Amino acid sequence: MNLPEIIVALVLGIGFGFALNKAGLTQYHKIVNVFRFTDLAVLKFMMTALIVGMADLFGMNALGLITLPTPPQTYIVGNLLGGLIFGVGMAGVGI
Amino acid sequence: MKHIIAYIQKDEWSPYVAGILLGLVGILVAVASNVFGDPGIALGASGSFESLFGGLTQWVAPDWVAKDVYFRAVRLPGITWEVVMLLGILIGGALGAISSRTWKLRRMPEKQWAGAFGQSRITRWVLVFLGAIILEYGAGIAGGCTSGLAIWGGLQLAPAAFLFMGGMFASGILTALIVYRRKY
Repeated sequence: MNLPEIIVALVLGIGFGFALNKAGLTQYHKIVNVFRFTDLAVLKFMMTALIVGMADLFGMNALGLITLPTPPQTYIVGNLLGGLIFGVGMAGVGI
Repeated sequence: MKHIIAYIQKDEWSPYVAGILLGLVGILVAVASNVFGDPGIALGASGSFESLFGGLTQWVAPDWVAKDVYFRAVRLPGITWEVVMLLGILIGGALGAISSRTWKLRRMPEKQWAGAFGQSRITRWVLVFLGAIILEYGAGIAGGCTSGLAIWGGLQLAPAAFLFMGGMFASGILTALIVYRRKY
């Protein structure tokens, strides 16, 4: 990694952390309550980010401004099993 | 302008506004991957723990890391894009708390935890440690976490992201049901 790439990674990371903090997702009750259906902030936050990102990415790609990055690999059993294990940790202790 | 500054200083934003900010960060990550051409560029966090482990192990057992399939094909060892991004996430989270003047060191969650698990700080720390191991293990199998797989993969419409989200919510709901039982 060269210096410009490190700076960009750091700045975008700061933006990500800032958004997480302001959405309240750095707190135990916010994470757990989405699984109890009493506070859907996590879902609202994630889905908004997905819609904004998707529309921009595919819109810019259609205009020829950007090439699509390599998406994460799909291997059905692994993705699903990993998600099932992940959810236990996430809902159990709220991280 | 005054209103914007006042909103930035608020402790908690509407999740939609924060989500828009994350979506914009996501698209800038995609732009960065175009500009730098580094295949390791992603909006992720969990992979950095594996990369850091690989980087540290390289000092002790360089042959083992060089031969290991995981460190050759899945996550590169050392300081990768995700490691720097994780550092940024920590700084950004701190800046968010400082901007709303809610920055302070907390040893326990302020709300709800004590009602479900009791006041003990040791219980909290042991459970968080174990929970984090489970979470990172799951992320390792799935190929990412809520950010690197669900959000970054999802905004590229990768099927993996939606399989992961399905699994995560299914077991998460069940876990919360067990933890909170009658109070669910």
